[in-house]
Amino acid sequence: MTPSTTPKAEAAPRSCKPAAALMAWIFPGMGHLYLGQRRRGWLIMFGILFLFMSGLLVGGLDAIDLKNDRLWFIAQAFNGPIAFVADFLNQALVQNRPEEERLHLIGLGHVNAIATLFIALGGLINLAVILDALYPINRSDHPNRRSNDA
Amino acid sequence: MNWLAWIPFLEPINWFHRWWYLLLIPLSFGISVAYKAIRVHSLKGYWWQVGLMTTQIVLGVLGLGILVALFVQFGIPALSN
Repeated sequence: MTPSTTPKAEAAPRSCKPAAALMAWIFPGMGHLYLGQRRRGWLIMFGILFLFMSGLLVGGLDAIDLKNDRLWFIAQAFNGPIAFVADFLNQALVQNRPEEERLHLIGLGHVNAIATLFIALGGLINLAVILDALYPINRSDHPNRRSNDA
Repeated sequence: MNWLAWIPFLEPINWFHRWWYLLLIPLSFGISVAYKAIRVHSLKGYWWQVGLMTTQIVLGVLGLGILVALFVQFGIPALSN
């Protein structure tokens, strides 16, 4: 047990919140906003979107590619519908272009690898967020709670 | 690279090929921000926790990189002799 956890918090029964989990997948952070944990929700939204947008900025739309990077896309899909929209735009704006034009738009080597990794890791962290929203911890009983937390 | 022709979020930043490893810092930061938001019970000292985790990830990956480099430079030649 880490110092930050309390026996009371661990013993408390966790109720299942499928609506919160669904909202957490639809848009990162929305699940915790729905649960009333507003500050956590905004922080999660900032963290996941920071990873997602950084990946797109570094690697371009080609960083999300369901057709060519299917296994990576499984992890990226946990970012929610924004990953599917980005893949749709990639297929429509990048992959459908003639070979000569497409070469300027696709990331190569380290740039493509790390941009794909940014978005995939964002998706995997959002999976942990979704599970946290599905079985939320009652954080309101913590003695060090700040007024704007929970 | 012609910066005037670069379209953000559509085209990749190809000059990062040389400095790609520096991207580990924002990567670690983003992971820490989202992870610590669900991990800590109290948000008191949250940013300190984020900074600590970011540093731990960067130093951990740096340490692993040094270990692998040493193994490739000295370990493999020693094993092959």
